[in-house]
Amino acid sequence: MAYYQATKDPTTDIRERTYVPELLHGLAVTIRHFMRNLFFPRDTNTDVLNRTGTSQITTVSYPEEQVTYPPGYRGLHRLVPREDGKPRCVACYLCATICPAQCIHIEAGEYETTDASADSRVIEKYPTSFVIDELRCIVCGLCVEACPKDAIRMDTGRHTPSEYTRSGFVWDIPRLLEGPPVNHPSDPWLKRPGSERPAHAHLEKHARIGEGLVPLKLPRPAHPVRTEVTSGPVPVTKFLRD
Amino acid sequence: MNRTLKILSVAILLVPGVLFGISWAQYRVGGWLAESCPVFHTQLQLCDTGGTSLAWVSALLFHMLLFVMVLATLLTVAERKWSAFTQDRIGPERARIGPAWMRKHSFGGLPHVAADALKMIFKENTRPKAADRDRILFWLGPVLAFAPVFALAAVIPFGPTVPVNGYAISAQVANPNFGLLYVLAIASLAVYGTSLAGWASNSKFALLGGVRAASQMISYEVALGLSLVGMMVAFSTVQLPVLIGSAAAGTGQAQYLWQGSVLGLDFGVPAWGIFLQPLGFLLFFTAAFAETKRAPFDVPEGESEIIGYFLEYSGMKFGTFMISEFIEVVVLSALITAIFLGGWHLGFAGDVALAQGLGKSHPVLYGAFCGAVFAMKVVFLCWFQLIVRWTFPRFRYDQIMTLGWKVLLPLGLFNLFASAALVLLDPSLHWLAVAGLLEIAVLAGLTLTRKAPKSGSGHEAAGHGTPDVHALPAAAASAHH
Repeated sequence: MAYYQATKDPTTDIRERTYVPELLHGLAVTIRHFMRNLFFPRDTNTDVLNRTGTSQITTVSYPEEQVTYPPGYRGLHRLVPREDGKPRCVACYLCATICPAQCIHIEAGEYETTDASADSRVIEKYPTSFVIDELRCIVCGLCVEACPKDAIRMDTGRHTPSEYTRSGFVWDIPRLLEGPPVNHPSDPWLKRPGSERPAHAHLEKHARIGEGLVPLKLPRPAHPVRTEVTSGPVPVTKFLRD
Repeated sequence: MNRTLKILSVAILLVPGVLFGISWAQYRVGGWLAESCPVFHTQLQLCDTGGTSLAWVSALLFHMLLFVMVLATLLTVAERKWSAFTQDRIGPERARIGPAWMRKHSFGGLPHVAADALKMIFKENTRPKAADRDRILFWLGPVLAFAPVFALAAVIPFGPTVPVNGYAISAQVANPNFGLLYVLAIASLAVYGTSLAGWASNSKFALLGGVRAASQMISYEVALGLSLVGMMVAFSTVQLPVLIGSAAAGTGQAQYLWQGSVLGLDFGVPAWGIFLQPLGFLLFFTAAFAETKRAPFDVPEGESEIIGYFLEYSGMKFGTFMISEFIEVVVLSALITAIFLGGWHLGFAGDVALAQGLGKSHPVLYGAFCGAVFAMKVVFLCWFQLIVRWTFPRFRYDQIMTLGWKVLLPLGLFNLFASAALVLLDPSLHWLAVAGLLEIAVLAGLTLTRKAPKSGSGHEAAGHGTPDVHALPAAAASAHH
């Protein structure tokens, strides 16, 4: 406390030099806050600056009350599905390459040339496994910028939820894939303008591609199976396969 | 409105009701004890100096173990809750207890008392290896910190002496004729606990805390004792019940210096210590804060630098240090109530009429009423001490020493000599009261007026003299500039 300076400084007022009146002023301030917060109910508006009422408590009692994020907030990423419910991802590795946190791990599969649908395939690769380690992700959004297929987006408006184990933060395709299906005119499985073939032929071919090869578990299971981490750093590949 | 009514009903009905009940039960049990064990009772003494019977056991049970201990325990949560309210937070409310319908309510954070106690009791009781050679002293530290503080409560009268079943039952465990000297002697023993804890921990930080505590407490002992001498001189006694006096007899602090009567009820200026010795009250209050080792005098603890003398203690040993700090708060509040705030007397509005009416017809009810008044004053002072703790920033160590030796000690000496001269001139205490009321008036004048804003420097005036910067949006808006 600055009582020494206050009592020695000749320019200060007598109220400050005797020290007690200023202490009483301070007490009045805290007692006023105390009484207002004690006797009056708290406004639970999560927009704290616009709270009204006599109580001046600024606490937002999370998780019962949650602050709405600003309109610009984008949140966690997700994988974008196609019309048939499979990810739009073509396993090009651009996102995994640009990721500064190296949190994306992709294993690509290729449609066999001897496959029944091989002669009609329009895309070559698909991800047999697409895993993001949410503990590593820094939510920078570079993967979204890098993706040539609009297969990964950051528009969920959520932050990473809490988990009990580290392995719970390693998300695979069933956990990442969500949202309405997205199509673009440039998608190879769609009918292009000027094409001689009927529209359903494009979609049929596409629908046959990779049948039985991608074990998608949709909808999401109620209790996701978690791998327990017992000790030490665990390579992310441990969680890649069931 | 709902919350306002709830809080008001707790503050006006529940708390005084419980305190009334404790006091009433103490008188009843004391009367029963005196009646069933008449061997210990020498004679009926209907005076305020206390009875001599086994009734002190009831005072020990109800006032020391029940009132002081429970209030100190509740203060541990109150500190957190009330500090939250002064800082615009909610405070502890997440501990829930009992069946489902009880879990919907936070009960003002009260279940945290149970949670804290359970945590303290069941935590591992560790002792640093370096403290092995002093393990007895290490164990004695919390004991010696707790015992003297708790023993202080023995001489505090929590209510008047009233006749129950023909026996004079006092609300005081012991009433030695050296009353206040006992308080000063025992209070200075508490420094051994903190010093031993700091020494026996064999830790540099704990030792620093212990040494700081020792020098601070010894320095402020002087001011603590000196500030009380004025009251001892004014009433020519060191016994607390005599200091408080009796409203029916018009003695002690219960006497009116100037008295009037409105609607048959007596009003006036009572001879309370705070009117006779406002300077002594301020000095005692400040020194008492230093004795409790709480902010703004908390360098022995020094949370932000050295953790303090109990750094190496865990579990309930640390809890003992913690609870002894709060017991000291309660006991010092009770002392201030007894010495400066008129004890169990209202001081206005028919105090004398009540003592002569209810005091004669239903002495136990009157005693319980007085006990509730005393306890309410204690609770208020506890609240005030906590508010002070959460208002003022900490002193630096050299400032503590400067304040103790260069400010409080000279002021205490001046106060003593001036008061003694005034008492010598006018033994009826009127001149002393005039001087005291003048001091209060000067302080109120200084507090209620404002420093004239310095012309030409708007920044100074805006930063210092604006009384109301508390509306949150306004404060936030100004923070954005």
